[in-house]
Amino acid sequence: MEYILIQFVNGLCQGSIYALMAIGYASIVGVTGLVTFAYGEVMMIGAFAAYYTFQYFADQLLVGILASFAAAACMGFLVYKICYERFFDKPRHISLICTIGFSMLVKNLAQILFGANTKAMPSVIQNFFLDIGPVRINAVQLIIVATVIGLSGALYLLFNKTQAGIRLRAVNQSRQAAALVGINVKRTILFGNCLGCGIGGTAGMLLAIYYQSLSPTIGSTFGNKAFASAVAGGMTSIPWAAGGGVLIGVIENIGTAFLPNSYRDVFAFVFLFIVLLLRPEGLSKKEGIRP
Amino acid sequence: MKKWLSIVLALALCLTALAGCGPKTPPETTDGSKDTQAPPSQASGTEGAPAASELKFAVLAPITGNYAEFGKAFEVATKMAADEINAEGGVNGRPISLTVYDTKGDATESADIARQLVGQDDIMGVIGDFSSTACMADAPIFGDAGMVLLSPTASHSDFTPMNDYMFSIMGRTDDESRFFISSLVKDYKGADNIGIIYTNSDWGNQCNSSMMDQAAKDGLTVVADEPYTEGEIDFTNVLNKVKNQNPELLVLIMQTVDCANALNAIAQMGWDIDTVCQGASASQQVIELAGENAEGLCSTTSFFIDENVPREKEWLDKFVAGAGFTPTVHAAVAYDAVYIMAEAAKSCGDNVTREGIREGLANLGEYIGFTGPIEFDETGAIFRKVLIVQIENGTYVRRTDYNYGNQ
Amino acid sequence: MKTLRKYRWVLICLLLAVALILPQVISSYLAGILCRILLFGTLAGSLNVINGYSGQMNIGHAGFVCIGAYTGAILATRTGVPFVLQLVCGGILASLVAWVLSKPMQRLKGIYLAIITMGFCEITRIISLNWVGLTGGPLGIKNIPAPVFFGVKFNTPERYAYIFLAILVIFTFLTGRVLNSRVGRAWISIREDDLAARSLGVKLGHYRSINLMYGAFFAGVCGAAMGPYYRYIASDMFSMDMSFNILSMVILGGQGTLIGPIVGAAIINTVTEAFRFAQEYRMVLYAVIIIAMMWIRPQGLIGVSNSMLSGRGIVKKRGRGQKNERPA
Repeated sequence: MEYILIQFVNGLCQGSIYALMAIGYASIVGVTGLVTFAYGEVMMIGAFAAYYTFQYFADQLLVGILASFAAAACMGFLVYKICYERFFDKPRHISLICTIGFSMLVKNLAQILFGANTKAMPSVIQNFFLDIGPVRINAVQLIIVATVIGLSGALYLLFNKTQAGIRLRAVNQSRQAAALVGINVKRTILFGNCLGCGIGGTAGMLLAIYYQSLSPTIGSTFGNKAFASAVAGGMTSIPWAAGGGVLIGVIENIGTAFLPNSYRDVFAFVFLFIVLLLRPEGLSKKEGIRP
Repeated sequence: MKKWLSIVLALALCLTALAGCGPKTPPETTDGSKDTQAPPSQASGTEGAPAASELKFAVLAPITGNYAEFGKAFEVATKMAADEINAEGGVNGRPISLTVYDTKGDATESADIARQLVGQDDIMGVIGDFSSTACMADAPIFGDAGMVLLSPTASHSDFTPMNDYMFSIMGRTDDESRFFISSLVKDYKGADNIGIIYTNSDWGNQCNSSMMDQAAKDGLTVVADEPYTEGEIDFTNVLNKVKNQNPELLVLIMQTVDCANALNAIAQMGWDIDTVCQGASASQQVIELAGENAEGLCSTTSFFIDENVPREKEWLDKFVAGAGFTPTVHAAVAYDAVYIMAEAAKSCGDNVTREGIREGLANLGEYIGFTGPIEFDETGAIFRKVLIVQIENGTYVRRTDYNYGNQ
Repeated sequence: MKTLRKYRWVLICLLLAVALILPQVISSYLAGILCRILLFGTLAGSLNVINGYSGQMNIGHAGFVCIGAYTGAILATRTGVPFVLQLVCGGILASLVAWVLSKPMQRLKGIYLAIITMGFCEITRIISLNWVGLTGGPLGIKNIPAPVFFGVKFNTPERYAYIFLAILVIFTFLTGRVLNSRVGRAWISIREDDLAARSLGVKLGHYRSINLMYGAFFAGVCGAAMGPYYRYIASDMFSMDMSFNILSMVILGGQGTLIGPIVGAAIINTVTEAFRFAQEYRMVLYAVIIIAMMWIRPQGLIGVSNSMLSGRGIVKKRGRGQKNERPA
């Protein structure tokens, strides 16, 4: 029982990172209406940006967040230019293949540029432990959860209280209607895509800090997790995507308490299957553009 | 009509591409010379081959993919060895030339390249691949073609018996695992109940089952025995699972990167446990990646680069200059593999054939390599003495204060 | 039109003749590439039946290949049933799984379908990695016996090419017939406009599940044929990478055409082989080609330009308001 409790807490922590990834993913899909497979690689680039910043400039978490966000947002710009811009009116599979190609490109270029070796992420968080009953929580977990909550709060404000956020939501709901009321749809989509990628990059950095290591091949597993969480939440709904992420984190960790660890990735997908069977459009209510 | 025309054009394009790329495949030769002027394939089989003609070998290595760092190490180490041999006049006056093929750490890719290599008659033997899985996939192909596959690193005990052409110089993993339990765990650490976490791969499974056998013989209790998928970066789950069973000593069966990740996770979750590892093999990378979390880790290795020995220091510096990172035992055995291959070729005299290389290897006798004595048994594997090393103040220290005679 | 048909048969006969003679005259290295082209040609073709003809988005085709491959390999190593039976069993099992999978898929559309197939592919791979008793787990299945026909052992690429060729020819011929039948027309009508198809009395779920089963059957057959060729199978062969590879071939060659995927397979396999000189930049070049292809000719080399798949269909339907605002 104790063990299950520990796994639950771990699941919450891991789930919160998944949630951040899923938030980024959902905001991308929400505005572009297109699915991306390059997200994992964008996260990887974010993590590497933070890694080099920690190495050569400053050993501060905040600086790392900024660097990873900026680098990943730039990647978002590239993804937009290469995979989306020309294909909004084309069938979805075309941009999908483009993102697959783009992810292969980034992954292999990163292997050449950064080296294929796994690198040790500098620990920017002073570790300490917090014992609550049988459960031991460490500083990294606490700070990650705090960062995730902080970023989500900032995003909430952005989406609800700023002009740009309202434009984003308008485009999310209906591209045509948004264009009719004078919103520059393409620019808003570009902005939303870069924002989502930036969030993904930050999540990538947090993951690298959590596991204390990173490599150019880290992307695809987490890209898939982000994808699964966002889909379970209904693809475009940001709060539900976050919920999906936390749920997948918890289910994975509790599931592996009973089955061998190597079945871990199965739980995420089985959960997804069940959600899609019961609610074919994901957990959230149907609204806005869905791919 | 246009559509059909484009099909024909596309197919024609493919055929020309095939014709263009097919015959001259060598992507890279270690001595830098473009060997498109290579002797015809029969030349190596006939008596009067020109003295200066190159002796060709292929190297299979995972240059890209999850094992890329080991692949790079293979590439650099084999090149070092080949350059040294060529600088000293080659094999019976013939320079050796190595062609490196990237197998991506993928058994299918490896088997695919194997099928190409057996078709190139001028290639006398193959060094590689990295993983036991890939080598075992290649074994029937090379075996059918009568071509030697000398793996520096494949240590699965089922690999070399697959046929007569398979050789490995890593030492059998089951021997190492038994030594690991009886000497390191039982004698040196004095532990009674242990938890094991092992990589779910050919190599890891065999380590695990040998350890379980030996633990049963030595009267140790294995309280937890958990597999994980290779390349995992989240060890919290599996560690918690083992922690729940309260072992006295944690045994990790992992390659270097995974081991470092696991050590970091142990430190992060604040678990105070004594840890030993098979597979980390005195790798600097564990220290680089895990830093002070690796402090106190004991591991077994068949070879240990001692910086105080001038020759080994020189080798290390040369490797680092070429590769840009510090080598593991895997690089050293790859280096040795080239020398052994050259030795086998030397024994053939002027008439080097694939079969001759096999004979040469099988009758190698005791060869003293850079990594220690190498003598093949009847299956083509070797026995290696295993050492215990421990990380102390950021470097490996050899431990001798245990009952060494037992193994 | 008449000349086209006439030329088509001439062309097909010519290609067949070339394919029959080719393995005899080329080196075993080239024969290996030819084998891959033929194998992936069938795989891409079978994925094309699903993606290109009924518009279901399958991105986890490797899962079916995996099931077929393990079925074939287990039968070959443990029971020694004839080779052809191995292929058929592999196909049947894959298609049974497809039938089960098609049930939940009937309620889903578009990208959700893609996700189900992706999840299916990953789950299949992970189960085959962990079910040690049946699949050998991470050890894979080794030493799969090569088939023997008329006393000849098919253990070299030169000989095995004929087996892959036979499968490809049977597949192409059968598919050509099926597509011209009632079933094939139903698939295409679903792809072009599922609402209209339903209003004309096409049972969507029924035809979609037949479609998936048909594609999965040939994926399974190819999988079962792969084992004796590679002599070894392991779960990591059937990862999403393989699915993406097959998908790239289909789309590069042209979805919704019979010959397109085969051309796609030929081009991708030769190009990746020709790029070996580029070493680590090889996959980079491959990625660039895929992106460039999507920019220049999104319907694929041989794609039909007036179908839904090339994007032309969208413009036509633009006016129907909210529902069609989302692309495809």
